[in-house]
Amino acid sequence: MSVAVENISVFILAENRLLREALTRLLNKKTDIRVVGASAFSPQVVGQIAAAAPEVLLSDSAAIGLSDLQLIPEVRTAVPGLKVVMVGMEANRETFLRAVRDGVVGYVLKDASAMEVAAAVRSVAGDEAVCPPTLCLNLFQYVATQRAQAPSFHIKHSLGLTRREQQLVQMISRGLTNKEIASQLNLSEQTVKNHIHRMLRKLGASDRLAAVELCRMPGAVA
Amino acid sequence: MVLPFLCASGSHLNLIFFPFTGDTSGTEWAVQRVRVLVANRPRLMRDLVLATVGDQPDIEIVGETQDEAEITELVERMRPDYLIVSSEEPEVRPGLCGFLLGRYPQMKILAVAAERNNSIFYWAFVDIRSKRVETSEQGILSVLRSKPELVEI
Repeated sequence: MSVAVENISVFILAENRLLREALTRLLNKKTDIRVVGASAFSPQVVGQIAAAAPEVLLSDSAAIGLSDLQLIPEVRTAVPGLKVVMVGMEANRETFLRAVRDGVVGYVLKDASAMEVAAAVRSVAGDEAVCPPTLCLNLFQYVATQRAQAPSFHIKHSLGLTRREQQLVQMISRGLTNKEIASQLNLSEQTVKNHIHRMLRKLGASDRLAAVELCRMPGAVA
Repeated sequence: MVLPFLCASGSHLNLIFFPFTGDTSGTEWAVQRVRVLVANRPRLMRDLVLATVGDQPDIEIVGETQDEAEITELVERMRPDYLIVSSEEPEVRPGLCGFLLGRYPQMKILAVAAERNNSIFYWAFVDIRSKRVETSEQGILSVLRSKPELVEI
């Protein structure tokens, strides 16, 4: 009994013609991968990619560089659900984090093999992320740093929040529950809920996270 | 039966052996496969060159390495017709090229650029000559298939 293999559609965006041609040929040899387009960067490339409607975009750094780094956000808007994999990359922390911020879900180094590129295509198509272990550690460390920095903002009095309410916003921003807040402040859980309710009304926020965002806005933070 | 021919290449006379197929017309000869040593980096580009070259019936990959220190030893052992290395910077001849072409003038070298669309083809003819080649499958294959000049004895 034969089983239909669902092809993963891939668009290759690369300045180097050998990379486009040889990678197209290699990937098309796979029974589960189909290259639906290949191009160098041009002002029309976002339209080309959208027309091809791939599931996965394979791109090298040269193509992204030529686009003033806006290409990935633009193409992800043009093709909802598109998974972007960068190939032939350096193991550079800043470049990697910027790529992740732009929505890249696969990051393959230049010393990876062609087989690893094919494996990355399959992984991201299967809703997994792909990145080298050392850069993965960088990502963990980056997120941990962001988390630690979250409560360090100071809320201006002009927002009309009392000292206790300002304290609550900072604790909410750290992800504490009402129960945890109550325990730390030596208050009852109901008292904490009342404070939060008053605070939300003052700020005009729909929920606690919206309240935190309002307090982070420029001008709201001292 | 193998017949020798003298092939003029610059200041050198090279002996090339061609298998004799029995055709006495004097114009058709069986041509051995072009022997290529692949030594470019990074790995992804090397894999792509291997994929491009490896599929060709008239080209034989006689070795592969990413270790620059191994290249000279492999060239000495395998005596390839072509060596494929990396071109790191535009307009700058890879360091090994001069040394290898001086020692093995029959060999030709293709320096493949990973991030540019112009690779460079080097060969020895009195001096070291070079020519730009597109970094594409067709560019690479056209270099590897460029025919030597034959001088019949």
